[in-house]
Amino acid sequence: MGKKKPEHDRQPETVEIGLPVDCRMAAQAALLSDLLGALDAPATQLDGRAVERVDTAALQLLTLFRREALSRGRAVSWLGASTTLCEAADTLGLVQALDLPVAAAA
Amino acid sequence: MSNAGLAQFQQVFIEESLEGLDTMESSLLALDEGGDGELVHTIFRAAHSIKGGAATFGFPEMASFTHEAESLLDEVRGGKRAIDKPIIELMLRSVDCLRGMFDRARAGEPLNDATSDGVRGELAAMMGREAPAQAGPARRAGDQAGAWMIQFKPHAGMLASGNDPLRLIRELAGLGELVVEADLSRLPALARLDPSECHLGWSIELKAPVRREDIAAVFDWVEDECDLSIEPKPTAVVTPAPAPAAAPAPANIADAAAARGTREASAESSSVRVAIDKIDSMINLVGELVITQAMLDTFREEFDPSRLPLLQQGLTQLARHARELQESVMGIRMLPIASVFNRFPRLVRDLSQKLGKQVKLDLHGEQTELDKTVLEKIGDPMVHLVRNAIDHGLEVPEKRRAAGKHEMGTLKLDAFHRGGNIVVEVSDDGAGLNREAIVRKAVERGLIKSGDGLSDEAVGDLIFQPGFSTAEVTTDLSGRGVGMDVVRRNVSDLGGSVVVRSKPAQGSVFTITLPLTLAIIDGLTAAVGEERYIVPLVSIIESVQLKPDALKTVAGGGELFRFRGEYLPVLRLHELFGCEGAKRTIEDGLLIVVEGDGSRVGLFVDGLVGQQQAVVKSLEANYRRVQGVSGATILADGSVALIVDIAGLVRLHGRRKAA
Amino acid sequence: MAKILAVDDSASMRGMVAYTLRGAGHEVTEAENGQLALDAAAAGGFDLVLADVNMPVMDGISMVRELRTRPAYKGVPILMLTTESHTDKKMEGKAAGATGWLVKPFDPDQLLATVKRVLG
Repeated sequence: MGKKKPEHDRQPETVEIGLPVDCRMAAQAALLSDLLGALDAPATQLDGRAVERVDTAALQLLTLFRREALSRGRAVSWLGASTTLCEAADTLGLVQALDLPVAAAA
Repeated sequence: MSNAGLAQFQQVFIEESLEGLDTMESSLLALDEGGDGELVHTIFRAAHSIKGGAATFGFPEMASFTHEAESLLDEVRGGKRAIDKPIIELMLRSVDCLRGMFDRARAGEPLNDATSDGVRGELAAMMGREAPAQAGPARRAGDQAGAWMIQFKPHAGMLASGNDPLRLIRELAGLGELVVEADLSRLPALARLDPSECHLGWSIELKAPVRREDIAAVFDWVEDECDLSIEPKPTAVVTPAPAPAAAPAPANIADAAAARGTREASAESSSVRVAIDKIDSMINLVGELVITQAMLDTFREEFDPSRLPLLQQGLTQLARHARELQESVMGIRMLPIASVFNRFPRLVRDLSQKLGKQVKLDLHGEQTELDKTVLEKIGDPMVHLVRNAIDHGLEVPEKRRAAGKHEMGTLKLDAFHRGGNIVVEVSDDGAGLNREAIVRKAVERGLIKSGDGLSDEAVGDLIFQPGFSTAEVTTDLSGRGVGMDVVRRNVSDLGGSVVVRSKPAQGSVFTITLPLTLAIIDGLTAAVGEERYIVPLVSIIESVQLKPDALKTVAGGGELFRFRGEYLPVLRLHELFGCEGAKRTIEDGLLIVVEGDGSRVGLFVDGLVGQQQAVVKSLEANYRRVQGVSGATILADGSVALIVDIAGLVRLHGRRKAA
Repeated sequence: MAKILAVDDSASMRGMVAYTLRGAGHEVTEAENGQLALDAAAAGGFDLVLADVNMPVMDGISMVRELRTRPAYKGVPILMLTTESHTDKKMEGKAAGATGWLVKPFDPDQLLATVKRVLG
């Protein structure tokens, strides 16, 4: 999925946010401030490919970010997401809300 | 206990539980004397630990017994019941029962016996129950359904407590197929989100014919941290579901039994619990050793005479670290004497009650450390001395009052360092030794001809003589003397000595002097002919060279010399041990003035070779017991030197003189 | 696998827990009371803390309460090792911030099952 990253999408206004390997609660204060900053950008690309550990709080945070960004007319997309991340979203019934590829969960 | 590796913890459990019982006992005794409420917590905590461990380590009988005791303590702790004499009495007997159970556990015998059953019944009776409660209320049968609807709304704080819905829902998935729908309606604005708070909710359909309680079990830790409803799905089309997740494995009884078997085998191997800081200091020292060794190693590559001072410095360091490491390693064997002292409050209490005496026990120096082996063996002689003090030394209240003393007698146990020794004293403010009775008995026994001219010390020493005490002595002698020879023998087996000082109407002091450690001694190496002897440094007062006329020969062939105003006997080691080629003329050799068993003598040797630490090897274990020798050691050149047993020599000399 | 902090004043219980968990491949740090556990916790990020309730110096409940005030330990699972007779202790532990409990007596299999359950 990393290969799908098209160069021409990378306009200067696009903010890219990489999720940490351990994306659990202790890492989320920093993530929250990144996401709050990204709310002002026209487009945000989330990179969840490195994520090895994740919790409900992380998915709640991402869900809320996406919902709020979309409501402000911003674009949110995924550069990619690890299996761990996709499986967790599936378990919590958040795949659609996060617009994660279901296929990756398989 | 599924394997041998775990059996070691069973051993640790027994050891720490016995310590816990000691704590319970001493705290109960302190409570008895009006101690504060914190003691109840201490007692409770000890009982609680034993209970928890007993069941875990395969002693359900002990767990159930302790449970009764703990319940009673809990009522006291919770203020439902006041602590009173009967409770303390019963708890003390419970402690005894548990000790018995641990003994039987070590011996591989059935844990319960008539006494423990009886005490257990008394505990239950005190709490107003006929018999110990057995099983709890019957489990409510869970209703069953083909499929379930679960509404799960965590409270905001649930995530912070470590309960992640992700884990819970995964666990549910283990029960059967899930359809999960998240409820996003409670989410706040991103700017107001505390990521550690949960604002999501879930509606979950579980398509599996499981029992309600199987589902509830998943949420058992979060019952009060969420809104939860579990309802059967009305029109369920039952789909075959995977088997429910396995219930927690039941305790494996066969394995526990096997572990008990291995415990029997390992019960004899003793172990020492070591404080972490002692280990840390050793690790540090080993680190230092390695550094010094690396420095010295550089000399292997190139040796330049200009670096000689460095080499000397390195060797000095090496020697120092080796010595410190040796001290640290020996220190592992050192444990506080408190573990021995702690058994006395109970003994004193029981014995004084039985004899109708009032005794106050004073403990001092509990933190003084002794070699573990010494510690294990000093208990019995001390019990002997304490029993004697209460039985024969301290008077009944009326007598004390008549003698103008406080009705309450004082028994003092003290431990402290003196020189290179540990001194343990048992003293009382009782009647003191009865000189006339001792002399009379000693004459009867044929130990002495008469008491005339005998110093008080000499009279006191008589009670330690084998053959002094017999059964009838205990009945008619108001002084002491019950098996004191055994006390002295036990103490001298440990390389120590015991003496008594006594004043009529003021009391007696029994002083046990013990070596700091059994395994290593500091000694002077003395040459006698071709042989080398080690004289323990702690017994040496001085070494002197005599002028030819300083020696006095007395009737019977004994030799005396004058030292600091008193005449001391000369013991010629070459004569005692039959050494060839030794010096015989007094001015050619050296006299080492030593003290043992309260007496001083001069040991005549050729000369001193040096001072060293000697690792004591047992002669008894390798050869046989030799009088006047406490052990052997191996010298730097590989030869063997005998270690002189000063107290033994002094006694040997005394007997020869008497003969 | 996971970094686990085992806190119990009883050397036998602590030893059994640590031995079992190490056998399952976990990295275990031992502490013999709540205070020492807090010191150890400051140094390393643990994935799981197992703590006895009744301990001298600092009991398990005070330890949990203190640990939960540290940002690094928000959300980290903390299990109390408790005995069945003390339901109130379970609740006290929960109120202080514990994740759940493991009821004594437990055998190594039950311990591993519970740890697996929490670590997911």
